Amino acid sequence: MAKLAFYFDSSRCSACKGCQAACKTWNSLPSPLGQDENPFTGSYQSPLDLNGDTRLLISFSEVAGGSKGVEWSFGRRSCFHCTNAGCVQVCPSGALAHDEETGMVRVTEDKCIGCQYCKYSCPFNVPRHYGYNDKINKCTSCLDRVSHDRQPACVKTCQSETLMFGSRDELLAKANERVAKLQEQGFERAAVYGGNELGGLGLIVVAHHGIESLSLPANPRISGMVNLLDILKPLAGLGAAAVLAGLGVSFLTGIGYERHKLRYDEETHDIIDDETNEVLAHFDFDEEE
Amino acid sequence: MTGHYCDLSNSDVFLTIGSNNVECHPVSAKWVQKAHDKGATWIVVDPRFTRTAACADIYSPIRAGTDIAFFGGMAKYILDNDLWQKEYVRNYTNAAYLLDPGFDFDVKTGMFSGWNEQTKSYEFSTWGYQVDETIPADASPTGAFAWTTEDGVPEFTPPGNKVPKKDMSLEDPQCIFQIFKKHYERYDLDTVSAVCGISVETLELVYKTFGSTGAPDKAGTIMYALGQTQHHYGVQNTRAMGVIQLLLGNIGLAGGGLNALRGEPNVQGSTDMGLLVHNTPGYLAWPTVAKYPNLRTWLDLETSSGGFYTNKPKLFISQLKEWFGSNATLQNDYGYDWLPKLGSDNDVTTMSTFELMNTGFIKGYFLWGQNPAQSTANTKFAREAMSKLDWMVAIDIVETETASFWRAPDLDPATIDTEVFLLPAALPFEKAGTVVNSGRWLQWRYKAVEPFDQAKPDLEICDLLWKEIVKLYKDEGGANPEPILNIKWDYDIDGKIDPRAVAQALNGYVIEGKKLLTTFGDLKADGSTASAMWIYAGFYANNDAPLDPSEQKVGARGREDKGGLALFQQWSWAWPLNRRVLYNRASADVDGKPWDSSRSLVNWTGDAWDNNDVADFVASRVVDGAPTPVAPNNNAFFMNWDQIGRLMIHSLDMPVPEHYEPFESPTDNALNGRENSPMIRFADKESVKKGTREEYPIAVTTYSVVEHWQSGSQTRHCPALVEAMPHQFVEVPEKLAEERGIKNGDLCRVFNNRGSIHVHAFVTPRLHTLLINGKEVHQIGLPHHWGWASMYSTGDVVNDLAPNVGDPGSYIPEYKAFLVDIEKA
Repeated sequence: MAKLAFYFDSSRCSACKGCQAACKTWNSLPSPLGQDENPFTGSYQSPLDLNGDTRLLISFSEVAGGSKGVEWSFGRRSCFHCTNAGCVQVCPSGALAHDEETGMVRVTEDKCIGCQYCKYSCPFNVPRHYGYNDKINKCTSCLDRVSHDRQPACVKTCQSETLMFGSRDELLAKANERVAKLQEQGFERAAVYGGNELGGLGLIVVAHHGIESLSLPANPRISGMVNLLDILKPLAGLGAAAVLAGLGVSFLTGIGYERHKLRYDEETHDIIDDETNEVLAHFDFDEEE
Repeated sequence: MTGHYCDLSNSDVFLTIGSNNVECHPVSAKWVQKAHDKGATWIVVDPRFTRTAACADIYSPIRAGTDIAFFGGMAKYILDNDLWQKEYVRNYTNAAYLLDPGFDFDVKTGMFSGWNEQTKSYEFSTWGYQVDETIPADASPTGAFAWTTEDGVPEFTPPGNKVPKKDMSLEDPQCIFQIFKKHYERYDLDTVSAVCGISVETLELVYKTFGSTGAPDKAGTIMYALGQTQHHYGVQNTRAMGVIQLLLGNIGLAGGGLNALRGEPNVQGSTDMGLLVHNTPGYLAWPTVAKYPNLRTWLDLETSSGGFYTNKPKLFISQLKEWFGSNATLQNDYGYDWLPKLGSDNDVTTMSTFELMNTGFIKGYFLWGQNPAQSTANTKFAREAMSKLDWMVAIDIVETETASFWRAPDLDPATIDTEVFLLPAALPFEKAGTVVNSGRWLQWRYKAVEPFDQAKPDLEICDLLWKEIVKLYKDEGGANPEPILNIKWDYDIDGKIDPRAVAQALNGYVIEGKKLLTTFGDLKADGSTASAMWIYAGFYANNDAPLDPSEQKVGARGREDKGGLALFQQWSWAWPLNRRVLYNRASADVDGKPWDSSRSLVNWTGDAWDNNDVADFVASRVVDGAPTPVAPNNNAFFMNWDQIGRLMIHSLDMPVPEHYEPFESPTDNALNGRENSPMIRFADKESVKKGTREEYPIAVTTYSVVEHWQSGSQTRHCPALVEAMPHQFVEVPEKLAEERGIKNGDLCRVFNNRGSIHVHAFVTPRLHTLLINGKEVHQIGLPHHWGWASMYSTGDVVNDLAPNVGDPGSYIPEYKAFLVDIEKA
């Protein structure tokens, strides 16, 4: 269980994106530099998704209805720092690991071999990789700041006290209190997210319009692929060359480009293209291996 | 703001109207949320469902430009439902004052009494009070004008004080309370609903909720910004809010007030500093040829008969002494004649500037941190006018649209002869100086890094230019040499211009020995004191460390909060005199007891004042050489000659706010027989090109988004901000999108007689098709941050569409409500 955690309260968030910009600035993450290179997203949400240079973004979801005519929900999309973290379990090189001191999922970039297993193991679709070297790029909880008694960059910049960082137990208690109060105020769907999910998340979310409004999965589970990828771990651990030479070759190249359209069938152990239903890869393995 | 950001945490009810405070003033969110946590209710009224609306408890849409109808309806609701704060209104406003019997408002014509067809403005004689007697100005040794007899004070005639007739029962049909009540009888719920496009149920909910703060122990605050001011009746929008807050007894209370949220470009500081055409620093009147041909007329007309401004000559003469130093003497009227005077025929407010460029009257143009080729109303016309200039000097941190106006997509550089100089300015963190926030708090900002390359702080650029001009005048002579050669310009420290020297000049000092003053109360009209900015007196007054800002009030960093009302008296310094809540006398009853003891700003204990805030009234007076407490009275607004809050006024364009339609409106005026305010500015200019609702049926409002700042010159050069909001867009209600076949993300053309722009569409339930006077009106929204001058993010200029008409008091353009049409591109 994480000792420290982020806290995000959607009922206080004004979606100013200060956190989004601060994350980029502190972590020296570039934004597109071409004139009018960024696409129009059709939403206040921009970029539309996390990417190799974006570890944190504010998500927007608007639905007609409610007492005000519209419900406009603002969410934080970034690493949840799970206790049962698929990415940590699957990482063959130790680049991803729980920080002993804080419990956050830290990144040791030097160790990353670019295998991208983490990408497919995360139920929140968080890990991304730098474009230029394929190394993992995700929220580190600014451990470089935290280890010097400073708040993560996103928390530091937050004006409305939407974001906090500190003792997980205290923040979870605060979240429960806040939700009770919100429910009293008429937000019937208000809920805490992250208390018990995946052994407890390192990002506790107060969702005043309910967790669906922030597109959070009700019962997140580590992808079945993790078991599968676990088998590859010893191989990958030897280094990237070994992975390329081994079983993984066809598998990795197969899913490396088509991530969003693939699914893994736990019973047949097939990797299937979601659109065409084509079996791209099949694994024969013995559970006991 | 009459209060300040932290004071928002004391409110019971918030009304955000004409502001998008969490987006455009994000720091306000923090303090609003603190009150919200304690159970405060937050109302947002806005043409769009904004990010602020998402955070609030109650949201009401409104048709842009109908705020006076909305507030008039609220005033009626408050009076009809007996929600007003009676003791407050009776004692601290002019409700009881009897109005001139000639006062009238004609609903059929939409005109008040006193219209002068020649001057196209109102004469105020019928808007004034009935007067019992006029008490002559008292220049005896104990009188308010005793100082006028001292040596060195220029001769002038202090005005006598009129004593208005009153009826404290408020029943006399000629008293302001009754006339005010009668004026808003037409503003019933059904009518207001039809004008504003708000359902009667929502109107009642909003009125009832905000009206609840009329209870003496409740405080309601109104947060507003450009959504209220950028109309041709913007000043009256602001007046309407002030009137509501007086009726509810909310002005002067912790958590109350009328709070104009002002922004990052130091707009509070720049208006303080006399950036506006008609002001000198500290909001004194800039001389005009017609009204103030000499010092005596200035003093005669500007000196108040009662209240604090009986002292105005002291402020102005001290200012002249700072400007002209020892060259300013009693004999030469302290240099008054050297001041350039504004002519009556050449209006040099922003919009008029472009008319004067167009006719060739203005040939050269200095632009300091301003981007009108992108930001003024009817920018296409402004750019065409600029192309007739001989020269332009743009001083900015990047090349703005204005600095590069000649390469605007609609202009041909080959045909433009204007010579443009671009002087690179330092960024805020590359220079030292003061910055003032919306709550009038001043802080010293230290230089963090050296300016990049050849960039220089504004002060240094100004200094270099000035010294060179003076040198040229000395060497070669020139037109009108006196103002230039007589100026005192001694702001160097160690041989270089220094903001600390400027701070001392702003603060003020006794000239003999240069002793810094702690209060403007010590300024004199006899030429013995100097102060460039009376309202800042005391902010930089530590004579023991005049070169160390951290040892001055402006550098204060104390975190103590005496009284627990988030006043933070020792953190920075608030003008005037470190007063945190203006008009705080009104937070207590006539006997000086706080309306609510948990919100005590000032408190009369029976023989003394026990205050948490600096008194905004005469709390003590020197008697026989010793400060002596002054017992409570009802002079709660002592910056007015009548020392009270005014439900009705005898100046400006309306005595009481009346609804008129925007210059370009989708409907007729349902409240009176006149479409626009009779004093609308510039409506007759050829450049305006008014569009009709038949040609352009879509109502539009313009606004900012949090990711960008104003003309985007700064933010469109920050890749992380560009990525967060990369493109211009138009927000379109679903019903209109369906009618016009527009899908989310489609490129659209938005156009009227003045311009045509291409933008992407956001189709959204956050904008509305409103039922206005029985007809459906679609309302769309356009953010205004884009132009062609950026390496990262460009777009068409939205302000090409906005009409260059404005308010007769502030001359602000009507950006917030006009007409366009839209089609899929």
